[in-house]
Amino acid sequence: MNKKQIAITLGVMCFILTVSIFVQIKTIKNTNSTISQSLKENELRDEVLRWKEKYDVAYEQLTQSGKDLEEIRKQATQNDKTSLAKQNEIIQNNMLLGTYEVQGPGIEITLTDNNTGISKDGMEVIDLSKLIVHYDDLLEVINSLNNAGAEAISINGQRIIQTTAITCEGNVIKVNGQRVSSPFTIKAIGSSGLLYGSVSMIGGYLYWMEYEGVLVDIKQSENVVIEKYNGVINYKYINNEN
Amino acid sequence: MIFIAIVIGCILGAVIGIYAPMVSYTYSGYLAIAIIAALDSVFGGIASTLKKNFDLKIFVTGFFGNAILSIMLTYLGQKLNVDIYLAAIVVFVGRMFNNLAIIRRYYIEKFTKKPNNNN
Repeated sequence: MNKKQIAITLGVMCFILTVSIFVQIKTIKNTNSTISQSLKENELRDEVLRWKEKYDVAYEQLTQSGKDLEEIRKQATQNDKTSLAKQNEIIQNNMLLGTYEVQGPGIEITLTDNNTGISKDGMEVIDLSKLIVHYDDLLEVINSLNNAGAEAISINGQRIIQTTAITCEGNVIKVNGQRVSSPFTIKAIGSSGLLYGSVSMIGGYLYWMEYEGVLVDIKQSENVVIEKYNGVINYKYINNEN
Repeated sequence: MIFIAIVIGCILGAVIGIYAPMVSYTYSGYLAIAIIAALDSVFGGIASTLKKNFDLKIFVTGFFGNAILSIMLTYLGQKLNVDIYLAAIVVFVGRMFNNLAIIRRYYIEKFTKKPNNNN
């Protein structure tokens, strides 16, 4: 057994060891898990992280299968005029339902809670509740966007569809049953000038929100991408038979 | 020579580890216990090199065998709802301290003897 061989083996082992240590550190950093003193809490956190991972994998698979389905449909309808028309109709309907990602001209509104306590004109705000974005603020904004002819709207990636509810639960706001929090990015597709005018007009809702202290930013954009609705649309009670 | 090899191995490992993909969280617990086992083996290897009874076969099988056994024990512990990995950690860390003590003594003796020889 010469020294060279020993050195090489030990070097290789150290190499393996440090690679795995770094991988482990990266994994732990990525999960943001802080070690708690309570064993039960750690276990529960582990469980949550595991389920989240499973959910992510399943969601990826779902997206992939959706794409595959699209591809198959496209191939099946390639040389047939009637089915091509049907295919277009399906796409159209899905776009209207909100199950497709859509893009087009529109605006992006960002509403941020004001933590400084000072409103736009330099005054100190006494009622701190006015500095936070409430769920009814979101409702008002969406209402005025719809009024101006918005064709698709999302809040922080949550698509607004027919069944969307915006609710206030304690100190969180839920859209489509999913938590959203400040800063709220509301994206809308439509005539960008019209949408911009309707939300930014003097005396309009956002005008007053900004006046009272919430940080409001409105941007016109030529290409707004609005995410699709992630949930399942399921109707049980309505039907069309007389 | 040996320590140069270890340092080079560590630096290369760190560089590659930074760009390596992550493992899924489910398996990171197993990886952690394997790291402890491997760390124990490396310390054992250094200690036995100093004692001049280093055996390559024993070292390599110990390195992988300990890691695999500890992963399996952790898995078994999870199935039985007993934290067996704690036992593995106690054993490995205890041995690590032992080996560290051997390494420390070797160098203390080496450095305290030298001035005596000069005098």
